[in-house]
Parts: sequence; C-alpha cells; structure tokens
Amino acid sequence: MEVSYHPTLQTDARLGRIVRILNDYATVVVSGTKLAAELGTTRSEVWRLVQQLRQFGVSIEGRPSTGYRLRTVPDLLLPEIVSPLVRGTIFSRYIHHYYKIGSTNTEAMQAAATGAPEGSVFLAEQQTAGRGRGAHQWYSAQSSGIYCSVILRPPLPPFEALILSLATGLAVYQAVQSKAPHLSLDLKWPNDLLINGKKFCGILTEMNAEATRVRHVVIGIGINVNQTNFPAELQPVATSLRQAAGTEWSRVELCAALLKSLDREYRDLLSRPDARGSVLRRFQERSSLVRGRAVRVEENGVFEGITDGLDPRGFLQVRTLQGLRLVLSGTVRPKE
Amino acid sequence: MNQKELKELIEFLIDKDIAEFELERGDVKVRIKRGADGAMTVPDARYFATYPAPPAAEMPVASPAAAPPKEAAPVVEENLHMVRSPIVGTFYESPSPGSPPFAKPGDVIEVGQVLCIVEAMKLMNEIESDVAGELVKKLVANGQPIEYGQELFAIRPRK
Repeated sequence: MEVSYHPTLQTDARLGRIVRILNDYATVVVSGTKLAAELGTTRSEVWRLVQQLRQFGVSIEGRPSTGYRLRTVPDLLLPEIVSPLVRGTIFSRYIHHYYKIGSTNTEAMQAAATGAPEGSVFLAEQQTAGRGRGAHQWYSAQSSGIYCSVILRPPLPPFEALILSLATGLAVYQAVQSKAPHLSLDLKWPNDLLINGKKFCGILTEMNAEATRVRHVVIGIGINVNQTNFPAELQPVATSLRQAAGTEWSRVELCAALLKSLDREYRDLLSRPDARGSVLRRFQERSSLVRGRAVRVEENGVFEGITDGLDPRGFLQVRTLQGLRLVLSGTVRPKE
Repeated sequence: MNQKELKELIEFLIDKDIAEFELERGDVKVRIKRGADGAMTVPDARYFATYPAPPAAEMPVASPAAAPPKEAAPVVEENLHMVRSPIVGTFYESPSPGSPPFAKPGDVIEVGQVLCIVEAMKLMNEIESDVAGELVKKLVANGQPIEYGQELFAIRPRK
C-alpha cells in the first residue's frame, strides 16, 4: 500500500480490527496466529498491518514470533474505536476513516450524491486539500486535529436548514466545554470558534437542495486539537486546544463528544418546536461579537458598524450610519 | 396566525383572485403576492409569517438583502425557464474566487447540473438546474446579495 502517494486512501478496515482485538485483550500478548485467524489472513500479512499501525503512531509491542500487545489505546479516529462511544446517535453506523484524503467534505458530498445514508461520518488523519470558505484552505496536519464531515438529510426546505450552521458551532462549543470547563471559548458569527481571539475550529457546510426540499447537507468540522505549532502565516490567528489548555487532548474522546452533541442539536431541531429559538438564544449568549461590538464586515464590499444581535433567521444585524444592515455570508472582524 | 389560518387566507385570496395582500398585526407581518405565471409566486408562508417585522425605526433601509430584488432586464422571449434561489444569500458563479464559472450564457445545461452557489452563514448551497436546455441569461452578478425566490438564470428548455 503506497500510503504516501495516494490522494485518497480509505483505511484498511483490518487495521481497526487489529486494534480492537488487541484492545479487548489489553493485558495479554495476542499471538500472530490468533490475529491471523481472526482476520482471515496470514501471519506475515498481520505483521505488515502492525507495521502500518506503528506508522500511524500506534504503540504495539511484539514481533511475529512473540505475538503482539497494545501499550496504550491509540488516539486514532478508527471506526472501531469511535463507534462504540457514539452508540445511540445517528452517527454510530457508517463511520469512514482515511489515513490521508484531499478533503473530507468533498468525499462526503460525493458519497451523499451517490446515496450514502444520513449519519455517515468521514474522518481523516490528514487532509491534503482541507477547505474553508471561498479559496481558503484548512491547515490539516497529520493526526493532530479532528477533520470530520457528516452527512445529514433533514426533511426541511432549504431556508430552514440554514440554522444548522449556527447549531454546529454550538455543538462544538459544548463538546469542548464538556472536556475543559475552565477554557474560555467564544463563538464568532456564523460559526468560528475562538480562544483568546484565535481560531481553533472552522466549520464549512455544503448543501444540495431542490427548491422546497433539502437532499443532503454535509457539515465539515476542522478542530485544531494537539498542534504545538502552526505555519508562520497562521500563528497570529490560529491556536489549538493543546496550546490553550497546556495539555494533550484525546482526539477520540473529543470527537465522540462532538458527534453526540451534534446528534442532540440535530434531533432537537427536527423534533422540538422551540429548538430554533433555543439555538439563536444560546448562540447570542456564547458569542461576544454578536452584540454591541464595533465590527468591520467584508461582504460585497466593506462596511463598518456596531453589531446588534441576530435576526430571527440567524443573520447578523449590524447598525451602521445608513441604518441596520444584515450580514448574509460575509466575514466579520472586530474593529481595532 | 397559525399554519391553518394562513392556508385559509391563501385559499381565500386565490378564490377571490386577489393578487397582492399585506397584513401587519402586532409583531406578525404577512405579505402574499400572487403572480400571473404561477410558479413560486406565493412566498413560503412560514418564512414570512413566523418572523416578526423589525420595528419601523429600525427598518434595514440600507440592507441589500432586505431591499426588493432589483428588476432584472426583462427577458422578452417567452417560454424561458427561470431558475430561482431557495434561500437568501450571496450569489457565487464559481466554486472558488478566480476559478471559471459553473455555467455561462450559451452553455448547454443538463438536469442536475450545478449552476451556481448561494451562500448564507457559511452554508454553501449548490443550485442545480431542474431543466435541460440552453442557458440564455445570467440575471445576477457574482457576489451580489439575493432574495428568497429571486430569479438567477433563464434557460430555454430543450424541446
């Protein structure tokens, strides 16, 4: 397997199974013969797969002659590891893992167009073409962040699905806060997440819809988790949870918390009549920028004003000298 | 006003052949406009009915999104199919800045072909063509804010 040359490489499902088996027998050495039998392959193939896992950073002791033992449960977003943690959500059944991929959103959009079910999750250790708004890229270093896209098929007209954009930001906010209550998080409209004014999470949502009905929505979430440094041009604007908290994070646990939180927001939006109001209210409570702040907005030109909360659809209102303006899609920055 | 009352109101308007109707009661504002061509002329009732109108003093005069959509140059040719936007947002003719447009006048369009993106709140909505034919006219400019239901493209359907 030429891992380094493939633009898209779906992880060999047997890698997850080896980790699962070794994890199930965490304290004992599992023989190569037993693993080979479980996987329906040869001992030499098991050795090759173990070597691959070691390349991922999974700490496995042993050789073909001695058998194998897992030193620690690896912080790898393998379906076998993530799925049991999100049981009972819509995201537990169709988790796809990639060692290296162009963009999880692109992959998920293609899968959705060819019928992939709601709740499908696409996780990557590394993105070579992680995307943001417009021509922006998302810096996606190997195994240090969470690069996650999910497919939803909400039975809604397109304009009612826009709120998912805000709800996803809230889901990330809650997931991070559940792991680190002391961290001071901020939401920047529509859904960037910041710590001390620096961004650690970006969300890009793509939708395919008919005039009155959404066919599918793909929500892409990039979180800087364990990065210890960023390329020079990102340093002034980017941070990671590790940099902010001073400790290493379990990507597996955070990813599971995120999927559970997103599942809850999504179910609420589909089933509870007050859910939209709740999203708008909570967003405004958790965003320092959304009200009473001087901002500069880049949208079809540039304008400046004071933020004045969200309108009932979730658009940002900005009070300007010419009157109240709505921001539909622009970039909003606090004015120095 | 609930869904049922609204439905009854719309049926009444159709029954009496009333083309335009506006009602403001407390914080509820309902505007219904029926056009001659039938398709999508009743703005989605939920959209207008559930959102309180801003107080008069705060009417977003300068907001391009709230302003009535500019009248596009009239397309005189008959039987053109109009592709409309299902959401409020910003119109993008290409997948990313600087890249070639999804479609341009003169192009032969297939059903399901992506014609543009309308973005709202970092949600990118791919707008597909619901007919096959020739793209005759692009009715909005790149980066322009557009309204719900606004016409984006005119397509001459294939016979």
